[in-house]
Amino acid sequence: MESWMMAIAILLPLVAGILVFIIRQYHVQSFIVVLTAIILAVNSILFLQQGPFTYSPGGFNWGLMVTILDYVILLFYLYVGISLRNWLVLIFALTQLIPLAWWEFGMKAHVELTPAFVVDHLSIVMTLVISIIGSLICIYALRYMYDHEHHTKLAKSRQPRFLFWLVIFLGAMNGLVFANNLVWLYFFWEVTTLCCFQLIAHDLTKEAINNAARALWMNSLGGTAFVFALIFLYVTQGGAEALSVQNIISGHITGAVIILPVALLCFTGFTKAAQMPFQSWLLGAMVAPTPVSALLHSSTMVKAGVYLVLRLAPAYAGTHLSTIIAIAGAFTFFAASGLAISQTTGKRVLAYSTIANLGLIIACAGINTPLAIAAAILLIIFHAISKGLLFLCAGTIEHQIWSREIEDMEGLAAKAPLTTLITTVGILSMFLPPFGMLLGKWLALEAAYMVPLAAIFFVLASTLTIVFWTKWLGRLLQVLPKIGWPREKLSLSYSVPLWLLLIGIFVIGMGVGPIYQNFILSATNNVITGNQIIPIGWHSLILTGTAFVEKGILGIFLVWPLFLILAVALLLPLLFIGLKPKELRPVYLCGEQTGDLDTDEWLAEADVKTKFQLGGYYYQKVLGEKTLDPWVNTIAIVILVIMLGYGVIIK
Amino acid sequence: MGLIEKSRIKSPWILHFDNSSCNGCDIEILACLTPLYDVERFGMVNMGNPKHADVLLITGPVNRRTARVLKNLYAQVPDPKIVIAVGTCASSGGVFHNCYNVLGGVDKVIPVDVYIPGCAARPEAIIDGVVLALQKLASLRGDKK
Amino acid sequence: MIDQLITVIVALIVAPLIGGLLFGFDRKITARLQGRYGPPIIQPFYDFFKLLGKQHIAVSKLQFIWIYGYLTFMVVSLLFLVLKLDILLLVFLLGFAGVCFVLGAFSTKSPYAHFGANRELLQILAYEPVLLFLALGVYAQNGSFLISEIFKQDKPLLFTLWPLFIAVLFILTIKMRKSPFDISTSHHAHQEIVRGTVTEYSGPYYALIQLVEWYELVLLLGIIALFWTNPLWVGILIALGAFILELLIDNIAARLTARWMVRLSWSVGLVLGIINIAYLYLTKGVA
Repeated sequence: MESWMMAIAILLPLVAGILVFIIRQYHVQSFIVVLTAIILAVNSILFLQQGPFTYSPGGFNWGLMVTILDYVILLFYLYVGISLRNWLVLIFALTQLIPLAWWEFGMKAHVELTPAFVVDHLSIVMTLVISIIGSLICIYALRYMYDHEHHTKLAKSRQPRFLFWLVIFLGAMNGLVFANNLVWLYFFWEVTTLCCFQLIAHDLTKEAINNAARALWMNSLGGTAFVFALIFLYVTQGGAEALSVQNIISGHITGAVIILPVALLCFTGFTKAAQMPFQSWLLGAMVAPTPVSALLHSSTMVKAGVYLVLRLAPAYAGTHLSTIIAIAGAFTFFAASGLAISQTTGKRVLAYSTIANLGLIIACAGINTPLAIAAAILLIIFHAISKGLLFLCAGTIEHQIWSREIEDMEGLAAKAPLTTLITTVGILSMFLPPFGMLLGKWLALEAAYMVPLAAIFFVLASTLTIVFWTKWLGRLLQVLPKIGWPREKLSLSYSVPLWLLLIGIFVIGMGVGPIYQNFILSATNNVITGNQIIPIGWHSLILTGTAFVEKGILGIFLVWPLFLILAVALLLPLLFIGLKPKELRPVYLCGEQTGDLDTDEWLAEADVKTKFQLGGYYYQKVLGEKTLDPWVNTIAIVILVIMLGYGVIIK
Repeated sequence: MGLIEKSRIKSPWILHFDNSSCNGCDIEILACLTPLYDVERFGMVNMGNPKHADVLLITGPVNRRTARVLKNLYAQVPDPKIVIAVGTCASSGGVFHNCYNVLGGVDKVIPVDVYIPGCAARPEAIIDGVVLALQKLASLRGDKK
Repeated sequence: MIDQLITVIVALIVAPLIGGLLFGFDRKITARLQGRYGPPIIQPFYDFFKLLGKQHIAVSKLQFIWIYGYLTFMVVSLLFLVLKLDILLLVFLLGFAGVCFVLGAFSTKSPYAHFGANRELLQILAYEPVLLFLALGVYAQNGSFLISEIFKQDKPLLFTLWPLFIAVLFILTIKMRKSPFDISTSHHAHQEIVRGTVTEYSGPYYALIQLVEWYELVLLLGIIALFWTNPLWVGILIALGAFILELLIDNIAARLTARWMVRLSWSVGLVLGIINIAYLYLTKGVA
């Protein structure tokens, strides 16, 4: 049973990927992808029912296979570096390849670990996110890529290739979260980097290839740190046992030496999670078709980065490294939120918001109290749902107006009311109560006093967050006086994932109490023991004291009452406020409007009818990338240097 | 008299619109707001936006350019509303009545409730006119649809 | 439970009465400071009922949805205060109310409302961090985010949180839309950007906005009263003093630009907040 579940989680996507690659018929492909999606989702729920277990595959020399594939991937990077004449890619491929070869062949390192896979509650949470949300995105991609290719008028469909990489991405992620053997973890890590590279480069435009190469070298830099961490652990601890994730985090390996490899692994996590100063690869990844972005941002890739940092939290608990990680994450949260304000492209706003929220999650891992870790896990789940939904919305909008610019989305509510409604809920769920993301942010802030600098960054960042989301949402809603909405029809492949994610936001948001009690608590306990959150059924979450306050209650978050209030505040008016045509008036334009209701024309000088135009504010001089990037990157690099230097030396 | 009717009298918000006045009456209207006359003691407030206004105070004769604007503004004032023509020009066109571009008094374009004569109309007369208008306003129904 | 219910009902009814009277007081004081006689003190209620009796006119359905959201969330924030719940959540709910107000203005294609909405966003940017810092400060002092915990302490918050108190006074000017920071929509300058955010609201919906402002004023003064809860009447006196101080500032200050507002509040407000929290952290620690 367990071996079957593992096989389905990791190998089924591979098989399905190969099938869709070979069979080039749209309907058959769709069938395979949908079937895989359903099986993966069911499988992940089985994992939830099964609970934790360990597993080592037998019957085949999987270790050898992993080693061979490692080299195949690295040699492919070499090839990419040479063929694109991108020296950074080349250098960082070599810095992985040479030490790895020296270690495995020169030192004859042989890492066979049992168990090879450890399934615990944290990885079950991750696999649920990957398998359910990732699968929904794959379903969405079917129709999206069909439309995409239709629009770009491609001579020969590249969809099979696209779906191939998309689907095996899920398998690699599943492998990554279950792997206990660090060498295997490294392998899955490289597979996700490879998938990411292929998917970003998919459109084969110059920009796409350049950005894919950037993603590749940045992640290879992280990979290099990973390789060095592997070798360091192996050499100093003298043996394969040191390369077990469980051994590292359970304190079996002691001594000051552990902190360096852990810091290196966290650094790797930072590159993958696109933390400052590595944010540019994730921003560049926006050139890819939207399902790719959705997948990278919500359930895979960047979540691997935060997963690694979170997973290692026990290994650096109570050290200065932990504090610095908290500050680094909080700084990213702050800086990315500020930069998001100046973005004029919807997808880039989403990208910065992802970077910011990942920073928040990493900061929570760094704060390292039971409350903060619970916040991090909740944020991973809620962020995956909301951001997945928002990217799918962005894709849907893009296929309706064929633009990604926020300015072109003006008045979308009048053109595509259904999409706008879903997008609105998605955006609100990112930063306002009672939705899950805010719950996470609230938990994080209540926990953040342990690291006051992080708390200050949190405060500033959550304010900036309000500004950029509201600004964008405001552009969507800008409508002319009109009665009634046009009917909007979305194809099933679009609407099913959208609606499911939308329902997910509400169901998981409202049921956060029982969900926390039943499975997030145990996931938290995989990282840090202790429980500071006491859910009172569906009603509320009560936070209890820390070391700072033993005596009482830290805070209370009401859950369903707030959802009820939300319904009263927005849903009831939406349903029950009627508007009669004769109540409509044009907007106030000093009496100079041309008279008709749904027009945005006014009579300028010499009675010339002129359309008036409104634009958003972006504050690019103050908050633009050109102004801020040098500062932000410098500070981020300084923090990283401190992390790898001070954090490691002074325990 | 109900609460709402009473409140209506107590809180007339004014929108001042200048057609093509010589600015004499406009200055007098502004004089009403000064400490000497202080119309705010009656709850009168000079609003800048027809959507918030109850009373349209209009000065000057209507010309071909302003007629359309006046109509637009009038349409944007929610019922119940009162229109007051301030000064001789607004009432009848005054000395401009035969000009090539002048249509005449305000009542050529929108219905007027109160005419305040004078060139320029004195602040006392304006206040008096508004009070007269308020009596009419009290008797109007809000849901005049 | 019954107690709480009574508190809720009393707060729902009494808060707008107090808020409305305070607004009337504001108009009276302002008039007196300008050498005028001023309207009766219950003038805001006349305005309110008059507006209720006016015709519905609308620009879009969306703007009304947001205005109900604005009302509901403002009331809920106030209830959080009177029920003595979590102050951090209260600030977030207040943030939701602010967002609703901005979105209501954004959901019309009106240049003036749009203008006001963008400025209102800057106002949020200016005041929100200070409110969040206040919540953190309360936690640093009491070890709990609960307002009920503040009431249990004998020592007033003002003793240790006085820098934050000054910061809150600073943003009170922004939140009450008083000069020099009445930039998105102004109480006394009726013709400026033809009232910004509220340009497209009229009649009963405009009345709703006034109602929300009454609730908001009571809520803000209530938050200030938290600085001295034992006995509460000192806190209330402080809050009233703060209110009168704001009126004075309103009448003697010229308006500043949005850029100045953000710059000042992020320098003065934040520095005070950060110093306060840093001081508490260093003296009290976390363990």
